Amino acid sequence: MRRLHPFTLLALAAALPLLAWILPAPRGALAPALAAATLAAAAGPRRVLLPALLTAAPLWFFLFILHGVGGMLVFGVRLTAMIASFVWLVAVLPPARLVEAMVAAGWGAPSAYLFAATLSAVPLLQQRARRIVEAQRCRGLSPRGSPLARLRALRALALPLVLSALHEVDERALALETRGLGAGHRRTPLAPPPDSALQQAARLALLLACGLALAWRLR
Amino acid sequence: MTPPTPPVLRFDGVSFAYGGGSGPPVLRELSFALGAGERVALLGRNGAGKSTVARLITGLLYPGAGTVWVGDWDSRGRRPEELARRVGSVFQHADQQLFARTVREDVAFGPRALGHDAADCDRRTAHALDLLELAALADEHPYDLPPPFRKLAALAGALALEPLVLVLDEPTAGLDRGLQGRVARALDERAARGTTLLVITHDLGFAAETLDRALVLDAGRLARDEPLHQWLVAPGRLAPLGFVPPPLVELSLALALPGTPVRAAAVADALAARCREP
Ligand SMILES: Nc1ncnc2c1ncn2[C@@H]1O[C@H](COP(=O)(O)OP(=O)(O)O)[C@@H](O)[C@H]1O
Ligand SMILES: [Mg+2]
Repeated sequence: MRRLHPFTLLALAAALPLLAWILPAPRGALAPALAAATLAAAAGPRRVLLPALLTAAPLWFFLFILHGVGGMLVFGVRLTAMIASFVWLVAVLPPARLVEAMVAAGWGAPSAYLFAATLSAVPLLQQRARRIVEAQRCRGLSPRGSPLARLRALRALALPLVLSALHEVDERALALETRGLGAGHRRTPLAPPPDSALQQAARLALLLACGLALAWRLR
Repeated sequence: MTPPTPPVLRFDGVSFAYGGGSGPPVLRELSFALGAGERVALLGRNGAGKSTVARLITGLLYPGAGTVWVGDWDSRGRRPEELARRVGSVFQHADQQLFARTVREDVAFGPRALGHDAADCDRRTAHALDLLELAALADEHPYDLPPPFRKLAALAGALALEPLVLVLDEPTAGLDRGLQGRVARALDERAARGTTLLVITHDLGFAAETLDRALVLDAGRLARDEPLHQWLVAPGRLAPLGFVPPPLVELSLALALPGTPVRAAAVADALAARCREP
Protein backbone atom coordinates (compact mmCIF):
# COMPACT_ATOMS: atom_id res chain seq x y z
CA MET A 1 0.00 0.00 0.00
CA ARG A 2 2.69 2.45 1.01
CA ARG A 3 4.35 1.91 -2.37
CA LEU A 4 1.36 3.33 -4.23
CA HIS A 5 1.57 6.84 -5.60
CA PRO A 6 0.20 9.43 -3.14
CA PHE A 7 -2.50 10.44 -5.61
CA THR A 8 -3.70 6.84 -5.84
CA LEU A 9 -3.96 6.64 -2.05
CA LEU A 10 -5.74 9.98 -2.03
CA ALA A 11 -8.15 8.84 -4.78
CA LEU A 12 -9.01 5.68 -2.84
CA ALA A 13 -9.57 7.60 0.38
CA ALA A 14 -11.83 10.06 -1.43
CA ALA A 15 -13.74 7.56 -3.60
CA LEU A 16 -14.79 5.18 -0.81
CA PRO A 17 -16.65 7.74 1.33
CA LEU A 18 -18.08 9.36 -1.81
CA LEU A 19 -19.47 6.02 -2.92
CA ALA A 20 -20.80 5.40 0.58
CA TRP A 21 -22.77 8.65 0.40
CA ILE A 22 -23.90 8.22 -3.17
CA LEU A 23 -25.02 4.57 -3.06
CA PRO A 24 -28.28 3.77 -1.24
CA ALA A 25 -27.76 3.26 2.47
CA PRO A 26 -27.42 1.16 4.45
CA ARG A 27 -27.09 -1.77 2.05
CA GLY A 28 -25.28 -0.14 -0.88
CA ALA A 29 -23.05 1.91 1.39
CA LEU A 30 -21.96 -1.22 3.20
CA ALA A 31 -19.53 -2.29 0.46
CA PRO A 32 -17.42 0.89 0.42
CA ALA A 33 -17.55 1.04 4.24
CA LEU A 34 -16.30 -2.54 4.43
CA ALA A 35 -13.61 -1.77 1.84
CA ALA A 36 -12.43 1.20 3.92
CA ALA A 37 -12.44 -0.91 7.09
CA THR A 38 -10.48 -3.63 5.29
CA LEU A 39 -7.86 -1.12 4.16
CA ALA A 40 -7.63 0.16 7.73
CA ALA A 41 -7.27 -3.38 9.05
CA ALA A 42 -4.57 -4.16 6.50
CA ALA A 43 -2.63 -1.08 7.57
CA GLY A 44 -2.78 -2.21 11.20
CA PRO A 45 -5.71 -3.66 13.14
CA ARG A 46 -4.70 -2.01 16.42
CA ARG A 47 -2.97 1.08 15.15
CA VAL A 48 -5.42 2.06 12.41
CA LEU A 49 -8.68 0.10 12.46
CA LEU A 50 -9.24 0.33 16.21
CA PRO A 51 -8.85 4.14 16.45
CA ALA A 52 -11.19 4.51 13.46
CA LEU A 53 -13.84 2.36 15.10
CA LEU A 54 -13.39 4.12 18.43
CA THR A 55 -13.89 7.45 16.70
CA ALA A 56 -17.00 6.21 14.93
CA ALA A 57 -18.59 4.50 17.94
CA PRO A 58 -19.82 7.62 19.79
CA LEU A 59 -21.29 8.92 16.53
CA TRP A 60 -23.34 5.72 16.21
CA PHE A 61 -24.49 6.33 19.75
CA PHE A 62 -25.60 9.91 19.06
CA LEU A 63 -27.24 8.87 15.79
CA PHE A 64 -29.20 6.24 17.67
CA ILE A 65 -30.39 8.85 20.18
CA LEU A 66 -31.33 11.31 17.44
CA HIS A 67 -32.71 9.05 14.69
CA GLY A 68 -33.38 5.61 16.12
CA VAL A 69 -32.07 2.38 14.67
CA GLY A 70 -32.94 3.13 11.00
CA GLY A 71 -31.19 6.50 10.95
CA MET A 72 -28.29 5.12 12.91
CA LEU A 73 -27.66 2.48 10.23
CA VAL A 74 -28.11 4.86 7.28
CA PHE A 75 -25.72 7.51 8.56
CA GLY A 76 -23.52 5.32 10.72
CA VAL A 77 -22.32 3.20 7.81
CA ARG A 78 -21.53 6.29 5.74
CA LEU A 79 -19.74 8.09 8.56
CA THR A 80 -17.76 4.96 9.33
CA ALA A 81 -16.63 4.79 5.69
CA MET A 82 -15.50 8.42 5.91
CA ILE A 83 -13.66 8.04 9.18
CA ALA A 84 -12.01 4.74 8.29
CA SER A 85 -10.81 6.13 4.93
CA PHE A 86 -9.41 9.25 6.53
CA VAL A 87 -7.65 7.47 9.38
CA TRP A 88 -6.26 4.96 6.89
CA LEU A 89 -4.98 7.74 4.62
CA VAL A 90 -3.26 9.48 7.52
CA ALA A 91 -1.62 6.20 8.49
CA VAL A 92 -0.31 5.20 5.05
CA LEU A 93 0.53 8.54 3.49
CA PRO A 94 3.40 10.49 5.03
CA PRO A 95 2.58 14.17 4.43
CA ALA A 96 6.05 14.84 3.06
CA ARG A 97 5.44 12.38 0.21
CA LEU A 98 2.15 14.04 -0.62
CA VAL A 99 3.83 17.45 -0.77
CA GLU A 100 6.50 16.08 -3.10
CA ALA A 101 3.92 14.53 -5.38
CA MET A 102 1.76 17.65 -5.44
CA VAL A 103 4.71 19.93 -6.19
CA ALA A 104 5.90 17.54 -8.89
CA ALA A 105 2.42 17.71 -10.42
CA GLY A 106 2.69 21.47 -10.62
CA TRP A 107 0.95 22.64 -7.44
CA GLY A 108 2.42 25.61 -5.58
CA ALA A 109 4.39 24.57 -2.54
CA PRO A 110 2.28 26.58 -0.04
CA SER A 111 -1.04 25.05 -1.03
CA ALA A 112 0.49 21.58 -1.20
CA TYR A 113 2.00 22.12 2.22
CA LEU A 114 -1.19 23.39 3.81
CA PHE A 115 -3.07 20.43 2.40
CA ALA A 116 -0.52 18.00 3.80
CA ALA A 117 -0.41 19.87 7.10
CA THR A 118 -4.07 19.02 7.56
CA LEU A 119 -3.14 15.35 7.44
CA SER A 120 -0.10 15.64 9.67
CA ALA A 121 -2.09 17.60 12.24
CA VAL A 122 -4.25 14.58 13.05
CA PRO A 123 -1.89 12.73 15.43
CA LEU A 124 -1.07 16.05 17.04
CA LEU A 125 -4.73 16.78 17.57
CA GLN A 126 -5.26 13.37 19.11
CA GLN A 127 -2.49 14.09 21.58
CA ARG A 128 -3.93 17.50 22.30
CA ALA A 129 -7.40 16.07 22.75
CA ARG A 130 -6.01 13.68 25.34
CA ARG A 131 -4.31 16.56 27.16
CA ILE A 132 -7.51 18.58 27.21
CA VAL A 133 -9.54 15.64 28.50
CA GLU A 134 -7.00 15.15 31.27
CA ALA A 135 -6.99 18.81 32.27
CA GLN A 136 -10.78 18.90 32.48
CA ARG A 137 -10.92 15.70 34.52
CA CYS A 138 -8.49 17.26 36.97
CA ARG A 139 -11.08 20.03 37.39
CA GLY A 140 -13.75 17.49 38.24
CA LEU A 141 -15.23 16.75 34.82
CA SER A 142 -16.50 13.20 34.70
CA PRO A 143 -16.47 11.58 31.26
CA ARG A 144 -18.98 9.01 32.50
CA GLY A 145 -22.59 9.26 33.52
CA SER A 146 -25.87 10.00 31.77
CA PRO A 147 -26.01 10.87 28.04
CA LEU A 148 -26.75 14.47 29.05
CA ALA A 149 -23.68 14.59 31.28
CA ARG A 150 -21.63 13.18 28.42
CA LEU A 151 -22.96 15.78 26.05
CA ARG A 152 -21.89 18.48 28.51
CA ALA A 153 -18.49 16.86 28.77
CA LEU A 154 -18.18 16.90 24.99
CA ARG A 155 -18.68 20.68 25.01
CA ALA A 156 -15.86 21.13 27.49
CA LEU A 157 -13.57 19.29 25.11
CA ALA A 158 -14.72 20.35 21.66
CA LEU A 159 -14.13 24.09 21.82
CA PRO A 160 -10.55 24.02 23.14
CA LEU A 161 -9.72 21.39 20.56
CA VAL A 162 -11.13 23.29 17.60
CA LEU A 163 -9.56 26.55 18.71
CA SER A 164 -6.18 24.99 19.25
CA ALA A 165 -6.43 23.35 15.84
CA LEU A 166 -7.06 26.74 14.23
CA HIS A 167 -4.14 28.15 16.17
CA GLU A 168 -2.04 25.28 14.89
CA VAL A 169 -2.88 26.05 11.25
CA ASP A 170 -1.95 29.68 11.91
CA GLU A 171 1.40 28.73 13.37
CA ARG A 172 2.17 26.35 10.53
CA ALA A 173 1.38 29.00 7.94
CA LEU A 174 3.68 31.37 9.78
CA ALA A 175 6.47 28.79 9.98
CA LEU A 176 5.99 28.29 6.27
CA GLU A 177 6.47 31.99 5.52
CA THR A 178 9.57 32.28 7.65
CA ARG A 179 11.12 29.34 5.81
CA GLY A 180 10.72 31.16 2.51
CA LEU A 181 7.85 29.02 1.36
CA GLY A 182 5.62 32.02 0.82
CA ALA A 183 3.50 32.39 -2.28
CA GLY A 184 5.26 32.72 -5.60
CA HIS A 185 8.09 30.29 -5.03
CA ARG A 186 8.37 27.06 -6.94
CA ARG A 187 10.54 24.36 -5.46
CA THR A 188 11.99 21.42 -7.29
CA PRO A 189 11.07 18.22 -5.49
CA LEU A 190 14.09 16.12 -4.65
CA ALA A 191 12.62 12.70 -5.24
CA PRO A 192 9.35 12.61 -7.11
CA PRO A 193 7.53 9.44 -6.00
CA PRO A 194 6.98 6.87 -8.75
CA ASP A 195 3.71 6.74 -10.63
CA SER A 196 2.60 4.22 -13.26
CA ALA A 197 0.13 3.94 -16.10
CA LEU A 198 -1.71 1.26 -14.15
CA GLN A 199 -2.16 3.56 -11.16
CA GLN A 200 -3.30 6.40 -13.40
CA ALA A 201 -5.86 4.05 -14.94
CA ALA A 202 -6.99 2.94 -11.48
CA ARG A 203 -7.52 6.55 -10.41
CA LEU A 204 -9.52 7.21 -13.56
CA ALA A 205 -11.60 4.11 -12.84
CA LEU A 206 -12.35 5.30 -9.31
CA LEU A 207 -13.44 8.67 -10.67
CA LEU A 208 -15.62 6.96 -13.28
CA ALA A 209 -17.16 4.68 -10.66
CA CYS A 210 -18.17 7.71 -8.57
CA GLY A 211 -19.55 9.47 -11.63
CA LEU A 212 -21.53 6.42 -12.76
CA ALA A 213 -22.92 5.80 -9.29
CA LEU A 214 -24.04 9.42 -9.11
CA ALA A 215 -25.64 9.24 -12.56
CA TRP A 216 -27.42 6.02 -11.62
CA ARG A 217 -28.77 7.52 -8.38
CA LEU A 218 -29.95 10.73 -10.08
CA ARG A 219 -31.55 8.87 -12.94
CA MET B 1 4.05 19.60 72.52
CA THR B 2 1.58 19.60 69.64
CA PRO B 3 1.29 16.30 67.82
CA PRO B 4 2.71 16.46 64.29
CA THR B 5 -0.02 17.07 61.72
CA PRO B 6 -0.36 14.18 59.28
CA PRO B 7 1.09 14.93 55.86
CA VAL B 8 -1.19 16.30 53.15
CA LEU B 9 0.76 14.55 50.44
CA ARG B 10 3.01 11.55 50.80
CA PHE B 11 4.97 9.47 48.32
CA ASP B 12 5.82 6.14 49.84
CA GLY B 13 8.44 4.22 47.85
CA VAL B 14 6.87 5.21 44.54
CA SER B 15 8.29 3.73 41.36
CA PHE B 16 6.88 4.26 37.90
CA ALA B 17 7.52 3.31 34.28
CA TYR B 18 5.43 4.22 31.23
CA GLY B 19 4.06 1.62 28.85
CA GLY B 20 2.19 -0.19 31.60
CA GLY B 21 5.43 -0.63 33.55
CA SER B 22 7.36 -2.12 30.66
CA GLY B 23 9.21 1.09 29.70
CA PRO B 24 12.43 2.31 31.27
CA PRO B 25 11.99 3.32 34.93
CA VAL B 26 11.03 7.00 35.19
CA LEU B 27 10.66 7.26 38.98
CA ARG B 28 12.58 5.08 41.40
CA GLU B 29 11.49 4.53 44.99
CA LEU B 30 10.48 8.09 45.57
CA SER B 31 9.57 8.96 49.16
CA PHE B 32 8.70 12.33 50.66
CA ALA B 33 5.95 13.92 52.73
CA LEU B 34 4.54 17.44 52.55
CA GLY B 35 2.64 19.07 55.39
CA ALA B 36 -0.18 21.61 55.31
CA GLY B 37 0.89 25.02 54.04
CA GLU B 38 4.34 23.90 52.92
CA ARG B 39 5.74 25.67 49.85
CA VAL B 40 7.79 23.22 47.87
CA ALA B 41 9.74 23.54 44.63
CA LEU B 42 10.07 20.39 42.53
CA LEU B 43 13.31 20.84 40.60
CA GLY B 44 15.31 18.84 38.10
CA ARG B 45 16.52 18.85 34.54
CA ASN B 46 14.23 18.03 31.59
CA GLY B 47 13.14 14.42 31.66
CA ALA B 48 13.92 13.98 35.37
CA GLY B 49 10.34 12.91 36.02
CA LYS B 50 8.76 16.06 37.46
CA SER B 51 5.65 16.07 35.30
CA THR B 52 5.22 12.38 35.98
CA VAL B 53 5.13 13.16 39.71
CA ALA B 54 2.39 15.73 39.03
CA ARG B 55 0.37 13.23 37.00
CA LEU B 56 0.65 10.63 39.77
CA ILE B 57 -0.73 13.13 42.30
CA THR B 58 -3.71 13.99 40.09
CA GLY B 59 -4.60 10.35 39.42
CA LEU B 60 -3.87 10.54 35.71
CA LEU B 61 -1.26 7.85 36.41
CA TYR B 62 -0.94 5.30 39.18
CA PRO B 63 2.33 4.09 40.70
CA GLY B 64 3.82 0.82 39.53
CA ALA B 65 5.06 0.21 43.06
CA GLY B 66 4.58 2.13 46.30
CA THR B 67 1.72 4.42 47.26
CA VAL B 68 0.73 8.02 46.66
CA TRP B 69 -1.25 9.35 49.63
CA VAL B 70 -3.35 12.50 49.32
CA GLY B 71 -4.31 13.04 52.94
CA ASP B 72 -5.77 9.68 53.94
CA TRP B 73 -6.67 8.75 50.36
CA ASP B 74 -4.63 6.17 48.49
CA SER B 75 -4.58 7.52 44.93
CA ARG B 76 -4.97 4.04 43.53
CA GLY B 77 -8.56 3.30 42.64
CA ARG B 78 -9.50 7.00 42.64
CA ARG B 79 -10.23 8.76 39.40
CA PRO B 80 -8.83 12.23 38.61
CA GLU B 81 -12.26 13.82 38.91
CA GLU B 82 -12.48 12.42 42.43
CA LEU B 83 -8.99 13.50 43.44
CA ALA B 84 -9.91 17.00 42.18
CA ARG B 85 -11.67 17.44 45.54
CA ARG B 86 -8.25 17.57 47.18
CA VAL B 87 -5.79 18.32 44.39
CA GLY B 88 -5.82 21.41 42.18
CA SER B 89 -3.51 21.22 39.22
CA VAL B 90 -2.34 23.35 36.35
CA PHE B 91 -0.40 21.72 33.56
CA GLN B 92 2.01 23.19 31.08
CA HIS B 93 -0.47 23.93 28.30
CA ALA B 94 -3.14 25.23 30.61
CA ASP B 95 -3.99 28.13 28.32
CA GLN B 96 -5.51 25.61 25.88
CA GLN B 97 -8.05 24.10 28.25
CA LEU B 98 -10.53 27.01 28.60
CA PHE B 99 -13.89 26.55 26.96
CA ALA B 100 -16.60 28.63 28.59
CA ARG B 101 -17.96 31.86 27.15
CA THR B 102 -16.47 34.01 29.87
CA VAL B 103 -13.47 33.77 32.14
CA ARG B 104 -15.80 33.78 35.14
CA GLU B 105 -17.80 30.79 33.88
CA ASP B 106 -14.63 28.91 33.13
CA VAL B 107 -13.23 29.48 36.60
CA ALA B 108 -16.56 28.35 38.07
CA PHE B 109 -16.48 25.12 36.08
CA GLY B 110 -14.44 23.15 38.63
CA PRO B 111 -16.47 24.01 41.74
CA ARG B 112 -19.69 23.31 39.78
CA ALA B 113 -18.41 19.98 38.51
CA LEU B 114 -17.61 19.03 42.11
CA GLY B 115 -21.19 19.81 43.07
CA HIS B 116 -20.82 22.90 45.25
CA ASP B 117 -23.98 24.99 45.52
CA ALA B 118 -24.41 28.18 43.49
CA ALA B 119 -23.57 30.61 46.29
CA ASP B 120 -20.43 28.70 47.20
CA CYS B 121 -19.37 28.52 43.53
CA ASP B 122 -19.82 32.28 43.19
CA ARG B 123 -17.79 32.96 46.31
CA ARG B 124 -14.93 30.66 45.27
CA THR B 125 -14.89 32.06 41.75
CA ALA B 126 -14.90 35.69 42.87
CA HIS B 127 -12.13 35.01 45.37
CA ALA B 128 -9.94 33.18 42.84
CA LEU B 129 -10.41 35.97 40.29
CA ASP B 130 -9.53 38.57 42.94
CA LEU B 131 -6.39 36.74 43.98
CA LEU B 132 -5.04 36.91 40.43
CA GLU B 133 -6.43 40.42 39.80
CA LEU B 134 -8.62 39.12 36.98
CA ALA B 135 -11.90 40.60 38.18
CA ALA B 136 -11.84 43.28 35.46
CA LEU B 137 -11.49 40.60 32.77
CA ALA B 138 -14.07 38.22 34.25
CA ASP B 139 -16.68 38.83 31.57
CA GLU B 140 -14.30 38.61 28.62
CA HIS B 141 -14.23 35.59 26.35
CA PRO B 142 -11.13 33.58 27.36
CA TYR B 143 -9.88 33.44 23.79
CA ASP B 144 -10.08 37.20 23.44
CA LEU B 145 -7.29 37.38 26.01
CA PRO B 146 -3.60 36.91 25.25
CA PRO B 147 -2.19 33.50 26.29
CA PRO B 148 -0.52 34.69 29.51
CA PHE B 149 -3.89 35.88 30.83
CA ARG B 150 -5.48 32.60 29.78
CA LYS B 151 -2.83 30.85 31.81
CA LEU B 152 -3.78 32.98 34.82
CA ALA B 153 -7.43 32.12 34.20
CA ALA B 154 -6.54 28.42 34.25
CA LEU B 155 -4.69 28.95 37.53
CA ALA B 156 -7.75 30.74 38.91
CA GLY B 157 -9.76 27.66 37.93
CA ALA B 158 -7.48 25.52 40.09
CA LEU B 159 -7.56 28.01 42.99
CA ALA B 160 -11.37 27.97 42.89
CA LEU B 161 -11.30 24.27 43.76
CA GLU B 162 -9.80 25.36 47.12
CA PRO B 163 -7.82 22.13 47.27
CA LEU B 164 -5.53 20.78 49.98
CA VAL B 165 -2.66 20.64 47.50
CA LEU B 166 -1.89 22.77 44.47
CA VAL B 167 0.32 21.08 41.90
CA LEU B 168 1.59 23.56 39.32
CA ASP B 169 3.72 22.68 36.31
CA GLU B 170 5.73 25.75 35.24
CA PRO B 171 3.13 28.31 36.38
CA THR B 172 5.27 31.33 35.47
CA ALA B 173 6.59 30.22 32.08
CA GLY B 174 5.62 32.79 29.47
CA LEU B 175 4.48 35.38 32.04
CA ASP B 176 6.05 38.81 32.35
CA ARG B 177 7.33 40.10 35.69
CA GLY B 178 4.07 41.79 36.53
CA LEU B 179 2.01 38.65 35.99
CA GLN B 180 4.59 36.52 37.80
CA GLY B 181 4.12 38.84 40.76
CA ARG B 182 0.38 38.17 40.72
CA VAL B 183 1.00 34.42 40.76
CA ALA B 184 3.45 34.80 43.64
CA ARG B 185 0.99 36.86 45.70
CA ALA B 186 -1.86 34.45 45.04
CA LEU B 187 0.26 31.47 46.08
CA ASP B 188 1.41 33.34 49.21
CA GLU B 189 -2.17 33.89 50.23
CA ARG B 190 -3.19 30.28 49.61
CA ALA B 191 -0.21 28.83 51.48
CA ALA B 192 -0.82 31.18 54.41
CA ARG B 193 -4.29 29.64 54.63
CA GLY B 194 -2.89 26.15 54.71
CA THR B 195 -2.81 25.02 51.08
CA THR B 196 0.25 22.93 50.29
CA LEU B 197 2.15 24.10 47.20
CA LEU B 198 4.14 21.81 44.94
CA VAL B 199 5.55 23.89 42.13
CA ILE B 200 7.55 22.56 39.19
CA THR B 201 9.70 25.41 37.93
CA HIS B 202 12.92 26.31 36.17
CA ASP B 203 12.60 29.89 37.35
CA LEU B 204 14.80 29.91 40.43
CA GLY B 205 14.25 33.63 40.99
CA PHE B 206 10.52 33.02 41.32
CA ALA B 207 11.13 29.93 43.47
CA ALA B 208 13.48 31.82 45.80
CA GLU B 209 10.86 34.49 46.46
CA THR B 210 7.85 32.21 46.83
CA LEU B 211 8.92 28.74 48.00
CA ASP B 212 10.77 27.30 50.99
CA ARG B 213 11.72 23.73 50.35
CA ALA B 214 13.50 22.03 47.46
CA LEU B 215 12.80 18.53 46.20
CA VAL B 216 15.39 17.81 43.54
CA LEU B 217 14.84 14.94 41.13
CA ASP B 218 17.71 13.45 39.23
CA ALA B 219 16.88 10.69 36.73
CA GLY B 220 13.82 9.68 38.72
CA ARG B 221 15.52 9.58 42.10
CA LEU B 222 15.14 12.09 44.91
CA ALA B 223 18.60 13.64 44.87
CA ARG B 224 17.91 16.32 47.51
CA ASP B 225 15.22 17.29 49.97
CA GLU B 226 16.33 20.37 51.88
CA PRO B 227 15.48 24.02 52.53
CA LEU B 228 15.44 25.80 49.18
CA HIS B 229 17.65 28.56 50.60
CA GLN B 230 20.32 26.04 51.53
CA TRP B 231 20.20 24.41 48.09
CA LEU B 232 20.38 27.75 46.28
CA VAL B 233 23.51 28.99 48.06
CA ALA B 234 25.46 25.72 48.06
CA PRO B 235 28.19 26.10 45.45
CA GLY B 236 28.30 23.52 42.68
CA ARG B 237 24.76 22.15 43.19
CA LEU B 238 22.94 24.11 40.52
CA ALA B 239 25.16 23.82 37.45
CA PRO B 240 25.13 19.98 37.15
CA LEU B 241 21.33 20.15 36.97
CA GLY B 242 21.41 22.80 34.27
CA PHE B 243 20.38 25.67 36.55
CA VAL B 244 21.94 29.13 36.70
CA PRO B 245 21.90 30.80 40.12
CA PRO B 246 19.51 33.79 40.21
CA PRO B 247 21.29 37.17 40.13
CA LEU B 248 20.31 37.98 43.73
CA VAL B 249 21.88 34.76 44.97
CA GLU B 250 25.08 35.54 43.09
CA LEU B 251 25.10 39.05 44.53
CA SER B 252 24.48 37.76 48.02
CA LEU B 253 27.32 35.26 47.67
CA ALA B 254 29.73 37.70 46.02
CA LEU B 255 29.27 40.28 48.77
CA ALA B 256 29.29 37.59 51.47
CA LEU B 257 26.15 39.11 52.96
CA PRO B 258 25.49 37.70 56.43
CA GLY B 259 23.15 34.73 56.26
CA THR B 260 23.37 34.80 52.45
CA PRO B 261 19.84 36.11 51.87
CA VAL B 262 18.17 35.13 48.58
CA ARG B 263 14.93 37.13 48.60
CA ALA B 264 14.86 40.69 47.29
CA ALA B 265 13.65 42.28 50.52
CA ALA B 266 16.21 40.43 52.64
CA VAL B 267 19.06 41.27 50.27
CA ALA B 268 18.00 44.93 50.33
CA ASP B 269 17.99 44.90 54.16
CA ALA B 270 21.43 43.32 54.29
CA LEU B 271 22.80 45.87 51.81
CA ALA B 272 21.28 48.74 53.75
CA ALA B 273 22.83 47.40 56.94
CA ARG B 274 26.20 47.11 55.25
CA CYS B 275 25.98 50.73 54.02
CA ARG B 276 25.37 51.90 57.58
CA GLU B 277 28.52 50.15 58.82
CA PRO B 278 31.31 52.55 59.62
N1 LIG C 1 3.53 9.50 27.88
C1 LIG C 1 4.80 9.06 27.97
N2 LIG C 1 5.14 7.86 27.44
C2 LIG C 1 6.41 7.40 27.54
N3 LIG C 1 7.41 8.05 28.14
C3 LIG C 1 7.15 9.25 28.69
C4 LIG C 1 5.83 9.82 28.63
N4 LIG C 1 5.86 11.02 29.26
C5 LIG C 1 7.13 11.18 29.68
N5 LIG C 1 7.92 10.14 29.35
C6 LIG C 1 9.33 9.96 29.67
O1 LIG C 1 9.46 9.94 31.08
C7 LIG C 1 10.60 10.67 31.50
C8 LIG C 1 10.19 11.75 32.49
O2 LIG C 1 9.34 12.66 31.85
P1 LIG C 1 8.69 13.88 32.60
O3 LIG C 1 8.04 13.41 33.83
O4 LIG C 1 7.85 14.61 31.62
O5 LIG C 1 9.97 14.75 32.99
P2 LIG C 1 10.11 16.31 33.33
O6 LIG C 1 8.74 16.86 33.57
O7 LIG C 1 10.97 16.34 34.54
O8 LIG C 1 10.78 16.96 32.17
C9 LIG C 1 11.24 11.22 30.23
O9 LIG C 1 12.30 10.37 29.90
C10 LIG C 1 10.15 11.14 29.22
O10 LIG C 1 10.70 10.90 27.95
MG1 LIG D 1 7.70 18.37 32.43
